[in-house]
Amino acid sequence: MMKKELLILLALTGWALAVPHYGSEFAVSMALTCLMYAALSSSWGLFCGSTRYLSLATSAFFGIGAYTGALLLETTPWLAAVGLGALAAAAVAVVMGAAVLHLRGTYFAVLTFGMTELIHHAISYWEKQVMGTVGRVLTVVPDRDTIYLTVLGLAVLAVLTSIIVRRSRFGLALAGIGADEQRAQTLGVNTRLVKVLGFAITAAFAGAVGAAMSVRWTYIDPATVFNPFIGFQTVLIALIGGAATLWGPLIAAVVFSLLAETLRLQAPQLYLMSLGLLLIICVLYLPGGLASLKRETFTQWRADTAGWWRGLRTKQGDA
Amino acid sequence: MNGHALLEAREVTVRFGGLVAVDAVSAAFAPGELVGIIGPNGAGKTTFFNALSGVIAPTAGEIFADGQRLTGRQPHRYAHQGVARTFQTPRVFADLSVADNVNFGLQFAGRGRTASWLLKDTASILNLIGLAAQAALPAAAITPSQQRLLEIGMALATRPKLLLLDEVAAGLTESEVQAMAQLIRRLRDELDLTVIWIEHAVTTLLRHVERVLVLHQGRKIADGTPAEVVRNPEVIEAYLGDEMVEPA
Repeated sequence: MMKKELLILLALTGWALAVPHYGSEFAVSMALTCLMYAALSSSWGLFCGSTRYLSLATSAFFGIGAYTGALLLETTPWLAAVGLGALAAAAVAVVMGAAVLHLRGTYFAVLTFGMTELIHHAISYWEKQVMGTVGRVLTVVPDRDTIYLTVLGLAVLAVLTSIIVRRSRFGLALAGIGADEQRAQTLGVNTRLVKVLGFAITAAFAGAVGAAMSVRWTYIDPATVFNPFIGFQTVLIALIGGAATLWGPLIAAVVFSLLAETLRLQAPQLYLMSLGLLLIICVLYLPGGLASLKRETFTQWRADTAGWWRGLRTKQGDA
Repeated sequence: MNGHALLEAREVTVRFGGLVAVDAVSAAFAPGELVGIIGPNGAGKTTFFNALSGVIAPTAGEIFADGQRLTGRQPHRYAHQGVARTFQTPRVFADLSVADNVNFGLQFAGRGRTASWLLKDTASILNLIGLAAQAALPAAAITPSQQRLLEIGMALATRPKLLLLDEVAAGLTESEVQAMAQLIRRLRDELDLTVIWIEHAVTTLLRHVERVLVLHQGRKIADGTPAEVVRNPEVIEAYLGDEMVEPA
């Protein structure tokens, strides 16, 4: 099973690697968006999908990563800047997690969103009052292919981490927390530690993606990198794909970036409408997400057809 | 108190706002004891269990497990200290298979603890609780009485020294109750477990335990052998009109 998953990942990586060589500028840009959301949603699902803690803080970690990267880029090598962006986001997640991870459901979701806004406005204030200027221009920017390869690497790493975590005791603990947190505790799971660790891993990926993607914009300000839409979109993609599944977020990320890049420019209303429609359909008819469509619906359909075929043949045999 | 108590509650009080659910209850449980806890509805039995397993932090008082002070610690610390429990309403992981439910405890509190061969692995625990045939089924698909057994299996997978059973016989048929009582005796005799067993059906419980604590309105009103307790005037008064009037 694990071998199969790794092979699929390898094949997908091969395809993604080929895009900058053969694809148009538009295709590369679309692939980059796709990889960014694949990394964000996969890592979001790793923690939030299995534990059912709905975090809206992705934008916060993305923004922290972006700012850390921007500050360091002139003095630090590219990959180190991305890594430190991840580290900064993870550190903030540990503090934030310790404060809010004892809350569940709506309270947790609302508080993570509130904290994202708090961080966003705190940085705006600091820039205005202390620095005197809002936003910053990035002067040292790596070339397109470096950015692409980095984001691709992060997406692969996110899926790889999910594959490994799913088979580990850590993954079992996360699933136990999602199913019945108190029961998991009485069976010996240090739930506080596991939750903070899981939250930090998710944040590290968002931070790294933030650091890697911000350079594409050449100018960043708090409103761009702490844009709550990044967080919402991550959650929507994961939920529509199936947050608790391995490939769900990935499948949905592809669907989304296709929708986003083709519809957003020509018909922005249509884009948001199809987003909403997809979410409604998934919540109502596919609570397991797009990934469950593949698993259950089609195997059931195949079994039904096979049964019908067998029935037909025995009837012919009788006659 | 004797020095070798496996679990000890000292003046444990649990308050919910103005309501005193457990009122300065002290009790010590020695290794290998089979103890029952009875009391009318709302006597504070389950709340006392929640305090003993760390699920609720007591408002006042202390809890020691195997000589370690655990007051206010997280439930997983209790599990690692050898205190396991079941819940009144079975809380199995519905989506996981029966075998995976048992395996969960082995992966956490039960990991690396020395254990009898009866608790060697998932298969041996499933044999012990009699659910080997259901191993591959999802836990949501087995009957409620099987889920009660699975709850016990999950708790045993933590390889405990002490087992807290919260109304494991509730809703079972008479023959299932007998089988459950036999299993509990076996756990004590063969695994050398200390068992503390809450049951609402008093007569069932008194037949099987050696010592019984009686809680009433959060206070401990009696602690002794079943024969002593049923003659205790305070107990009779607390249970007046209930099934205890015709002692077993």
